[in-house]
Amino acid sequence: MPPLAVLTLLVLLPAFDALRFSLGWVPEDNVSYASGLNLIRSSQPTLAVFGRLFSSASFGRDLGLTLFVTLTSVALLTVVSYALAVYARFGRGRWVGAVRTLYLLPMFIPGIIAAYAITTFYGDHGLLQAMLERVGVQGYHSPIRQSWGIVLGSVWTGIPFAVLMLSSGLDGVAEEQIEAARDAGASFWVILWRIVLPLNLVPLLIVLTFSFIGVFGSFTIPYLLGPAAPNMLGVSMQLNFGAFRQPQVAVAMAVFSFLVCALVGYLYVVATLRQNGRRV
Amino acid sequence: MSVPAIPAPRAAWFLQVAGLRRALGAILLLAFSAFLLMPLWTLLLWAVTERWLYPGVVPQQFGLKWWSWVFSNADIGKAAFWSLTTAPTVTLLSALVCLPAAYAFARFDFPLKRFFYVALLASNAFPKLGLYIAIAAFFFRLGLIGTFWGVVLVQLVNALVVMIWIPSAAFAAVPKELEEAARDAGASPLRVFFSVTLPISMPGIIVALILTFLGSLDESQATLLIGTPQITTLPIQMYTLVSSYPEPVGAVFSVLLATPSVVLLLLARRYLLAGYLAAGFKGG
Repeated sequence: MPPLAVLTLLVLLPAFDALRFSLGWVPEDNVSYASGLNLIRSSQPTLAVFGRLFSSASFGRDLGLTLFVTLTSVALLTVVSYALAVYARFGRGRWVGAVRTLYLLPMFIPGIIAAYAITTFYGDHGLLQAMLERVGVQGYHSPIRQSWGIVLGSVWTGIPFAVLMLSSGLDGVAEEQIEAARDAGASFWVILWRIVLPLNLVPLLIVLTFSFIGVFGSFTIPYLLGPAAPNMLGVSMQLNFGAFRQPQVAVAMAVFSFLVCALVGYLYVVATLRQNGRRV
Repeated sequence: MSVPAIPAPRAAWFLQVAGLRRALGAILLLAFSAFLLMPLWTLLLWAVTERWLYPGVVPQQFGLKWWSWVFSNADIGKAAFWSLTTAPTVTLLSALVCLPAAYAFARFDFPLKRFFYVALLASNAFPKLGLYIAIAAFFFRLGLIGTFWGVVLVQLVNALVVMIWIPSAAFAAVPKELEEAARDAGASPLRVFFSVTLPISMPGIIVALILTFLGSLDESQATLLIGTPQITTLPIQMYTLVSSYPEPVGAVFSVLLATPSVVLLLLARRYLLAGYLAAGFKGG
């Protein structure tokens, strides 16, 4: 299996290497590791690198921002996408087709361009501010270069995947079930909560986990739309690896993010296996 | 939707008035459209602007002078060269590596199939930047940093899942009866594959190729880590353009960079949706 060889070479070995390095084992033949600043060397596995990382104030702020942005983005993304998916599935009228095309749009746009486009519209003295001023609204504070800017960008870029995923689940909901419930006098919310949601739980779980992992480890959006400090973990990793020349810190952060996402990813794998087991 | 039979929340009384409900729906739709479209509209305007001073709602002076600037810039030419060499290489290499495996996933039962399946899924569930950092450190030892093949290999990671999933679904959709009929007519297994299986599953494979190509063309994070300073593809150039050039340059460049994606994806849209939904995973 050649893909497995690629997987081993490009995912498992580097991840294992990173884990060892973060536990204090510094490979002397690796110049990028051995020449780093503030190295912790140990012949025994040690948690000293993580200890120092967790006790540093800047990591705490970075982690706080990352969690805030990730959770807010995932929550907003899920709500907006669910509403869109339900509308695209059950809505009637001429707007449904337009919405179905519209929500796919961000899929066509590379992330870095999306970030730039969002800056030009929402940024200081951008088009939005000009338009608001035109209708007499003063005191616009741009979300760009704030934590909300990252949320904005993450939701924007995350919509196609989330809506597609949720729609694929909704397509499996039979029209008759809805009709039967409606005849029995159930309200819209009851139908949504009692019938549609349970049938659609696995795709929802996949959207939640994938969006979480995607935003948690993102780089381009927070790099271009986020504040200069604190940074999201992805940006902070990149800075520590490159500009600050602290590869061990960067690698320890990477391992930490692996662990967080492994926990979340476990849910995803379980959910996917269950879904495929049911379909086959 | 339906008239609630249970007492509705007090604040939502007006939702029962059909006209108001429709208006609310229209406002939400409009807000959503604006949210998605306005940034792109701004970008398109900037791309054909020569002077746009705040607080104008439209540019004061239109023009295309920045297009010639972008086209004559040497750095951008170099970046275009790297983009147009890495992306096809990644696509071809991933097809060579993955298509046999995709066929195996679709047609054969083999030991540990479940395990491989999970392993692939798991590689897709890694937080990307963390993985790239780990790979970058690993590549330093192999001397792959700043090289063409380093960039190709790191982009291959992203291609794996796309290139296995969608073709695998396509192979599995080919009716077994057709293959068996061809076999009965005396065709060799290889002949059956190339004359029956491959043509029928072609749309799925083409979608996977397109997605891989575009994914590679738009990839910025891994290339930034592994490729710099020698290998600067177009998206990498974008990081520099965004921060240190006037707005129209970035806008023109964005339009150029997004055009191949939009064209290719629109062409493959029908297959694409089917492929996405069948595979049920995140690509790109």
